[in-house]
Amino acid sequence: MQGTFAINLARIAIIVAILALWEVLSRTGIINPRLLPSASDTFVTLGDLLQRAAVQKDLMVTAAEVLAAFAMAVPFGAVIGFLVAENRYFADVAKPLLFFAFSIPKSIFLPMFILVFGVGFAQKVGFGFFSTIFIVIMSTTTAVESVKVEHLTVARSYGATPWQTAFRVYLPSMLPVLLEALRISMIFNLTGVILAEMYASRDGIGHQIATWGENFQMKQLLAGVVMVAAIAMTFNELVRWVEARCSHWRT
Amino acid sequence: MQPLANVTPLKPAARAGAIEVKNVGQVFRGRSQDVVALDDVSLEIKPGRFVVLVGPSGCGKSTLLMMMAGLRQQTTGTITISGAPILQPDPDRVGVVFQEASLFPWLTAEDNVEFPLALRGVPKAERRAKAQDALKLVGLEGFGKRHPHELSGGMKQRVSIARGLVQDPPVLLMDEPFAALDEQTRMTMGDELLRIWAATGKTVVFVTHSLTEAVYLADEVIVMSARPGRIVDHLQVQLPRPRTYEMLSGDAFGALRDRIWRHIRKSA
Repeated sequence: MQGTFAINLARIAIIVAILALWEVLSRTGIINPRLLPSASDTFVTLGDLLQRAAVQKDLMVTAAEVLAAFAMAVPFGAVIGFLVAENRYFADVAKPLLFFAFSIPKSIFLPMFILVFGVGFAQKVGFGFFSTIFIVIMSTTTAVESVKVEHLTVARSYGATPWQTAFRVYLPSMLPVLLEALRISMIFNLTGVILAEMYASRDGIGHQIATWGENFQMKQLLAGVVMVAAIAMTFNELVRWVEARCSHWRT
Repeated sequence: MQPLANVTPLKPAARAGAIEVKNVGQVFRGRSQDVVALDDVSLEIKPGRFVVLVGPSGCGKSTLLMMMAGLRQQTTGTITISGAPILQPDPDRVGVVFQEASLFPWLTAEDNVEFPLALRGVPKAERRAKAQDALKLVGLEGFGKRHPHELSGGMKQRVSIARGLVQDPPVLLMDEPFAALDEQTRMTMGDELLRIWAATGKTVVFVTHSLTEAVYLADEVIVMSARPGRIVDHLQVQLPRPRTYEMLSGDAFGALRDRIWRHIRKSA
């Protein structure tokens, strides 16, 4: 118990040290405060921005895009991943192709999404979906492969129906890997949507951050970075917390 | 097809737990040639007997056990349990205990034991009560709330046995259940299994690689040979019960073990 406490303490110390270094570098002018506003100024600006209706609206727009893309990419990718894992022929055909597709930086397709969908909600959701689906497919494949044959045999020997096997064996077996997949997919998804917003958009927090950058509003820019980082980390930690509770049956 | 009435015999004492294997063969179709895994195996097991299948790797002893469990279909022949043929898994007639790692790690010990009952929609309270009884029988009272990773190898196999017994089937099939355990635990578990068997009166069919384990546990030992899988000997173990550690070094025990070993050496 003391071990984890000491480790947590060390972690907090590192965060405090980074913030302090940031503050000192800016305040003493070692780094031009116009380029790097101090930490305290940034957090004050962050509080200020969060009060603004325009920023709240941008956050809502981004959240809607992220959730829409995620809600489509995860089930769709999961089904494809499941088919790839369960069907030998499909796996032989599709697996190398998926690896090819996965290796391509998705950002180079962004101009095409703008041409096809125009600038707006669909373009961002589409690009978010595209950025996410490959990692979902590949993770689901891994998850299905983590189901043990022994467990399936046990279920069969006690007369489990296909539905019972799906919900009582497949799903719980796959859960630890699926949760990790969910977490990593969200990182890809968020990156995709925000990139699409920064590239061409009228709203969304990514668009705001890009605009602040272009206008050299460093305080707002940094506050925006901290905001998005905090949101991403919160989601990540939430899933990791659930993951930790089922890690003991991970194979 | 047999009439349905034979599935649950009217006179359970007469046939429940009897196993009859008749001319069972298994052929795997290979690319260049067919492989005969089991060749015309016939065998009769009376209710309440403790029967051990031994033989070299590839003799088809596990395959035969999986057929009795309804988890595999033989190419030819029939297997009858409690008077009716086994065509698919039937948890009412047969409980199966697998090798280690067959427990679901996401369920507690009692939830693992309840699993077969949960599949059939048995109410929670009844399920829990039966699981408690089964856990008590295997000596794991009070361990129900633990997850498999919190249990030792021997305890995990006790949970597996409890799961196999929870529906009170007349037959318990065990596929090398103690193979992954260390020597001391294995001995203890052997004694435990004999105690449970004596308390429940089940027919037990037990597959193992260990000749000592075979003779120590069994009423009858069935020795199989490999390629093709055949029964080469069927020994009656007349050693008195309860079996004790001292018997292991006795002449009778040694003679039986030697007889099995000679068969296996020939075939391997």
